[in-house]
Amino acid sequence: MGNREAVSKLNKWIKSWGKKPPKKRAAFVYGPPGTGKTAAVQALATEKGYDLLEINASDSRTKNRIEEVLGKAAGQTVTVFGRPRMILLDEMEGVSGQKDRGGITAISNVIKTTRIPIVLVATTVEENMENKFRPLRSKATLIEFQPVPFGEVYKSLERIAGENGVKVHPEVLDTLASRSQGDLRSAINDLETVAKGKTKVDPRDIEWMGERDRQDYTPNIINRIFSARSLWEARQTISQSMIPYEDLFDWIYENLPLVIDEPGERLQALETLAKADVYQKRARSSNYRLLMMKQVHAAIQRNGMPLSNFQTTETRDGVMIKPIRWLGRDKWGALNGELRGIGASWTYGQNFWVLPYFREPQTKWRYITTYHSRRKMKAVAAKLAVKTHTSTQGAITETIPLLRIIYNADQENADKIDAWLGLEDKEQDYLSC
Amino acid sequence: MSTMSGGMWAEKYRPQTLDDMTNQTEIVSRLKMFVQEKNLPHLLFVGPAGVGKTTSILALARDLYGQGYRNFTLELNASDERGIDVIREKVKNFARTAAIASPVSFKILIMDEADSLTSAAQHALRRTMEIYTRTCRFCLIGNYSENIIDPIQSRCSIFRFSPLDEKDMKAYIMNIVKREQIDIIEEGLDAVYQASGGDLRKATNLLQAAAATKDVIDDVSIYEVLGKVSPERVRAMIQRSLKGDFLEAREILRELLIDQGLAPDDIIRMVYSELMRNTVLSEQWKVKLSDKVGEVDYRLTQGARPEIQLSTLLAHLALAGEEMK
Repeated sequence: MGNREAVSKLNKWIKSWGKKPPKKRAAFVYGPPGTGKTAAVQALATEKGYDLLEINASDSRTKNRIEEVLGKAAGQTVTVFGRPRMILLDEMEGVSGQKDRGGITAISNVIKTTRIPIVLVATTVEENMENKFRPLRSKATLIEFQPVPFGEVYKSLERIAGENGVKVHPEVLDTLASRSQGDLRSAINDLETVAKGKTKVDPRDIEWMGERDRQDYTPNIINRIFSARSLWEARQTISQSMIPYEDLFDWIYENLPLVIDEPGERLQALETLAKADVYQKRARSSNYRLLMMKQVHAAIQRNGMPLSNFQTTETRDGVMIKPIRWLGRDKWGALNGELRGIGASWTYGQNFWVLPYFREPQTKWRYITTYHSRRKMKAVAAKLAVKTHTSTQGAITETIPLLRIIYNADQENADKIDAWLGLEDKEQDYLSC
Repeated sequence: MSTMSGGMWAEKYRPQTLDDMTNQTEIVSRLKMFVQEKNLPHLLFVGPAGVGKTTSILALARDLYGQGYRNFTLELNASDERGIDVIREKVKNFARTAAIASPVSFKILIMDEADSLTSAAQHALRRTMEIYTRTCRFCLIGNYSENIIDPIQSRCSIFRFSPLDEKDMKAYIMNIVKREQIDIIEEGLDAVYQASGGDLRKATNLLQAAAATKDVIDDVSIYEVLGKVSPERVRAMIQRSLKGDFLEAREILRELLIDQGLAPDDIIRMVYSELMRNTVLSEQWKVKLSDKVGEVDYRLTQGARPEIQLSTLLAHLALAGEEMK
C-alpha cells in the first residue's frame, strides 16, 4: 500500500516511546481522504500490542469534555490487563470552532503532560493546517499522507476484484482509479457498487456514475477567485469554499498586489478591501438631523406651500413642524399624509407634527403584529413538510402559495386536505384567507 | 393510496415502488439490484428539485421492507434540523439500534437537503456513518455535491439525478391529466413544462392549481396561477425602488420576509429573475445589479442579517432609477 514513508515515520515515532515519553508526545497525521491515515494508526497499534482508545467527531469535543476524557486516559499508562495504551483523536478537522470551543487548546495542554502516545488524525492538506492547528503543530511529529498513486489504486482494485471472482474490464479499473484522485477508499466503494451482483463489469456499466467533487485547498480557491471572469463567479467560489472569511480576507490582501500590478487598478482594489474593513467599525454619522430637516422641507414644497407658513424647529426628540396659520382641511390632509410617510405624527391639542429623529425598528413590530398568522403558517407548513417530504421552508415558499389556490377552489377537496394534513380550525382559516 | 394522499396530486401520483418509477431508469435499475441483493452501500443522491431523489429512496425502502417500511426508516430534513447536536443525538440514537423483525439487518436513515448541513455537522455525521454501518445505511440527498465534504462523498455511492427532459415531463403530466380527466391544450402543457423547469412536484402543483380555477387549461391559465404567488409582490417591491421610494419598498420587503415567511435566498432568486426580465432597466444596469445580487447572496452565506443585506439591493435599484431618469 502507498504512503510507505509516512507509515515508517509513524512506526518510528511509536517505537520512540520507551521507558520515558519522547520529546514529541503526539503525532499529527494529515492528508487527503481515503489515503489510509486512520487504518495505518489502527494497524500499527494492533501490531505493537497497544490498546487503542478512539475519540472522533461524533463525540462532543468541548474543552471540558476533552479534559475529562483525555486527561483521565492520558494518565493511565496501561489497561487493567497490563497492555499499553494509545489514544487516537480522529477527524481533527471536524473539531468545531463554535460548539467545541477551546477544544484545540485543551488537547494541546493534555499533550504536554501525557504519559501515553496520542495520535491526531486530520483529513486536510498542509496549507489548511496553518491557523486552527497552530498550537498543536509544534508539539507533534508531523506526518503527511499523500494521495495514493494511480497505479497503486489500479492494482488494489484489480486484486480485490480478483479475490471476489469478478471480471472487471481494464477500462473500468482505469476510470475508477483515475476518478478517485488518490482516494483509495472511494475507489473501493465504487468498485463494490458497480460489481454488486455481477460476475463481469463492462465500461457500459459505469456510465451512470457521478464524479466526486473535490474541494480545493486554499491556494486553488484564491486562484479561482482571481481568475474568475465575473464577480458572480468569484462569489460562488468563495461561498462554496469552506475557508473562514477572515482567513480569506488575509489571503486576498497578501496576494492582491502580486496579481494586480497596474497601479491604478491596484489602488482601486486595495481601497475596496480597506473599505470593507472599515465599514465594520465605522460609527454612525450624525448628518441625519440635517437630512431630516431637508426631508421635511421637501414634503412641504411638494404640496405647493411656502416654507414661511411653517415654523420648523429642532427639538431634543425630533423635528417640530408647526403651521403658523390654519391650512384648510384639504391642504392639511395632503401634507399630513406626506409627513406620516416619512414617520411624523400629528400631536392633537398642540397642533404640530413631530418627526422623531429615530424611529423604533419596525421589524420588531412587524413580528409582533403578525405573530398569530405566522404561527398558523408554520404549523401548516410543518404538517405539509412531513406529508410531502420537503423542508418546512420549502413548504412555505413552494407549496403553500399553490395549495391556497387549490384549497379555495373546491370545498370538498379542501375537506379532504384538512383530513389528510390533520388541520385544526385556525390552520384551515389560514389557508382559506 | 389515493385516499391517503387526499387532495394533493403531487402526493397522490408519487410513485410508490421502484417499478412505478418511469424516469431515471439507469439509477432505478441499480437500486433494484440493491433490493434484490438485500444490501446497499451508503448513498448520496444529488440533483435538482423534483426529479425523484426522495421518491426513489422511499420506493426502495418500501420494496425492501414492505408496507411497514416506516418502522425501519428515519426521514430527517437537514434544513429543519440543522446543526451538530442533531447529528450527535437524533442520528446516533436511530443508527445504533439494530432493525428487529425486518427482512434485512439494517435500517435506512434518509437525510434530505444534506447539503445544507454545516461542515461541522457533516464531520460528526461521517464517523457515525462508519461506526453504525452494520445497523444503518445512510441516504444523503442534496442539490449540489459541492457542499458535501469530501470524506462523506468518499464513503458514499453517488447517484446523479438528471433533470427530466421535455418528453418525460410531459408524459408524467399527461398521465395525471388522463386520470383526473382534465382538459388541457398543447400550449398549457408547454407552459407547465417551461414554468416548472423540470421540477415534477412544481409542475404537478401548478397543474392542479390551474385545473382548480379553470375548465380548460391553456398557457394563460398557467401564467395566471404563477402571477398569484409571491413574484407579484417582488415585482411591486422592485417598482417602488426604481421610483426612488426606498421606504415603501422596504415595507414590502418586510412583508415578504416576515408576514409571508419567505427564505431570504428565495427572495434573492425571485429578485434576480425579475431583474433579468425587467424591460425598463438598461443592460448596463442589469450587469451592475446582478453583481450586487451576487454580493448580497454571498453576504447572506456569511451569516449577515437578511433584511439589511436585501435592503442594500433596494438602494441600488433606487440609484439605478435615479440615474436612468
